[in-house]
Amino acid sequence: MTELLANLALGFQVAANPYNIGFCLIGALVGTLVGVLPGIGTVATVAMLLPITFGLPPVGALIMLAGIYYGAQYGGSTTSVLVNIPGEATSVVTCLDGHQMARQGRAGAALSIAAIGSFFAGCVSTVLVAALGAPLTGLALLFGPAEYFALMVLGLIFAVVLAKGSVLKSVAMVFTGLLLSMVGSDLETGAGRMTFDIAELSDGIGFTNVAMGLFGFAEIIRNLEMSQESRDIVKAKITGLMPTRQDLIDSSGAIARGTILGSLLGILPGGGAVVASFAAYTFEKRIAKNPQRFGNGAIEGVAAPESANNAAAQTSFIPLLTLGIPPNAVMALMVGAMTIHGIVPGPQVMTKQPELFWGMIASMWLGNLMLIIINLPLVGVWVTLLRVPYRLLYPSIIVFCCIGIYSINNSPTDVVIAAIFGLFGYWLVKHDFEPAPLVLAFVLGPLMEENLRRAMLIARGDPTVFLTRPISAGLLLVAAFLLVLAALPMIRARREEVFVE
Amino acid sequence: MAEGAKSSPKGGFQFKVRGPRDFYGGLALIALAIIAIMATGDLPGQHGFAFGPGTAPRIFAMLLAVIGGVVALTGLFVQGSPIEGYAVRGPLYVLVGILLFAGMIRGVDLQFLRIPPLGLVISTFTAFMVSIFGSTEFRWVESLIAAAAMTAFCVALFVYLLQLPFQLWPMY
Repeated sequence: MTELLANLALGFQVAANPYNIGFCLIGALVGTLVGVLPGIGTVATVAMLLPITFGLPPVGALIMLAGIYYGAQYGGSTTSVLVNIPGEATSVVTCLDGHQMARQGRAGAALSIAAIGSFFAGCVSTVLVAALGAPLTGLALLFGPAEYFALMVLGLIFAVVLAKGSVLKSVAMVFTGLLLSMVGSDLETGAGRMTFDIAELSDGIGFTNVAMGLFGFAEIIRNLEMSQESRDIVKAKITGLMPTRQDLIDSSGAIARGTILGSLLGILPGGGAVVASFAAYTFEKRIAKNPQRFGNGAIEGVAAPESANNAAAQTSFIPLLTLGIPPNAVMALMVGAMTIHGIVPGPQVMTKQPELFWGMIASMWLGNLMLIIINLPLVGVWVTLLRVPYRLLYPSIIVFCCIGIYSINNSPTDVVIAAIFGLFGYWLVKHDFEPAPLVLAFVLGPLMEENLRRAMLIARGDPTVFLTRPISAGLLLVAAFLLVLAALPMIRARREEVFVE
Repeated sequence: MAEGAKSSPKGGFQFKVRGPRDFYGGLALIALAIIAIMATGDLPGQHGFAFGPGTAPRIFAMLLAVIGGVVALTGLFVQGSPIEGYAVRGPLYVLVGILLFAGMIRGVDLQFLRIPPLGLVISTFTAFMVSIFGSTEFRWVESLIAAAAMTAFCVALFVYLLQLPFQLWPMY
C-alpha cells in the first residue's frame, strides 16, 4: 500500500511538471476538437494526431496521446448528444437518451452528467490501473511463449465475440488481419514475404496506414453516400450546464455501476470500451423500475454508458503496460508511438522506466480533470464546430490525414497504401464485415507468430504444449467456451438484440 | 463450392444466391488467400521443429480460405440482404485526391507519369480541391476559400509549429 502511494507520488511528480501538464491539456483539447467532428472515431483521431507528438520527449508524447484518447472519446459523446450522430461506436448508446435530453432542452445537463460520470470513472480506474499494475507485471514473469500465444488467441476471440454482426465473418476478418500482418520481412530469416518485390513493403504494412484507411478514409467515403440533411443539430441555446440535485441523485447509482462494469470489461483484451457502454446501458435498462423512460431522455441512459466507456478506456492500458499486449486498436497505436520513442511495451517498462509508467497513470487522472474543466465552458465552441458543413469538413480531414501519414516516414507510398485500405474498408462495409477484429489481428499477428514459433521450438515441435501448460490451457479453454457461446443461436439472438438497441 | 451458383441444373430448378453479401464477400476472401498462398509458395516452410518464414503465412492463408469458403456457403443457402450499390463519385474523387497528394508531394517518376516534386502547399491545395468534388453540394467560391485556409493551417501546424521537415514549394 505504501509502495503504491510512493509510486503514485512519483507519478504525480512527473505529471505535474508544467510541460507535461501542458502536453496533457493540449492533447485533451485537440483530441476533443477532432473527436467532436462527426464521423471521426477515436481510432482515426488518435492515428491522425500521432504525428504531432513525434517531436516531444517520450513521457510528454505518451501523456499527450493519452490526453488525445480521452479527449476524442469525450468529443464523441458531445457529438452524440448535440447532433445525434455518434462520432464513434462507444457513443452510439449515448445518442439514445442524450439526444432526447438535448431536444427537451436539457443538453447542458446531459453533457455535464457525461463529464461528471467520466471523471468519477476515471478516478476509480486510475487507482485500479495503479493497483493492478504491479501484481500483473509479476504475473507476466510466469508467462512463456505458449501463454502469450494463448492470451492473444483469447484476445482475438473476445474481439470476435464483441464485434457486432456474424461471428463467422468476424473470424474471417481475424484471419485476414493475421495474413496481412505477415507482409514484409520475416523477423528471423529476413526473407521477404508477400512483398511482390515492392521495396516499400519489405518493412511490412504500417499499422497507421491500415488504421487511417479503414477508419478514416473508408468512413468518409461511406458518409458521402448518405444524405447530409439528416444532421439534426440542437438549435436551442444550451443553458443550465449544471445538473440539478435531482439529476445527480438519479444518476449516481448508474455512474457507479457503469464504472464497475467498464473497468472489468476494459481489462479484457479485445476492445472493451464499446461493449462496456452497450452493457452498461442494457444493464441500467433492465434494472430500472420504469424501463419505458429509456430512449426518452433518461439521465441514467447517459450516465452509465459514459462512465463505463471512460473506465474501460482507462483500464485497457493495463494489458498494454503490464503484458505488452495491446487490447484494442487505440492501444495498438500507442504501441506504435512507444516504438517510435524506443520504448518496448511490456513488463519491463515499469521496472526500467518507472517515471514513464507512473507518470502516465497519474496523467490519466489529470487528463480527466482537464476534460471536465475545459469541456463544460467550451461547449459553445464545439457547437459552432458542428455547424461547419460536412462538404467542407471532409476534404479538410482528408488532407490532414494525408499529411499526417506522409510525415510519419516521409513516404508517399504510405499514403497510397492508406488509400487502398480506404477502398478495402468501403468494400468491407458493403459486405457487412467488421474492421475492428481485422485491425486487432493485424497488430497481434507478428507477436503471435513469434510466440508460436518459440513455443513450438521449445516444445520440440509438440503442439500439445498449449494444452499441457496450465495457464495456457486455461486461457484457450475460456476462448473456446466464449466462441461456442457466441455461436449458439440463443445467445446470438440476445447479442443482436443488444446491438440493435 | 462456387460451382453450384453458375451451372443451374436443367430440371427447371433455378439456383439462386440467397445472401449475395456473404457469398461474394467469402469468394473475395478465398481469392485473397489463394494470392497469399501463391505469393508465399517459394518461401521455405517447416524444417524439423522450426518454423520457416513461409509456415505461419501459409497456415493463416489456409484458415482464411476455409473460413471464406464457409462464409460463401452460408451466402449460398441463407437468405441475406442484397449488396448495396457502390457510389462512384465520392470514392473516385476522394481516392484521386489522395493519390494526387502522394504523387505531388515528392514527385513521381513512373514510366507513364512524371510529376516533379511540387511541395506541401500545392499538394495540399490540389488534394483538397479534387476531393471536395466528391460531394454533390460543391460550390466554387466557398471551396477555394476553404482550401486556401486549410492549406495555410496545415503549413502553420506541421511546418512552423511542429517543425517537421517538409518541402514547401516546388523544386526543380
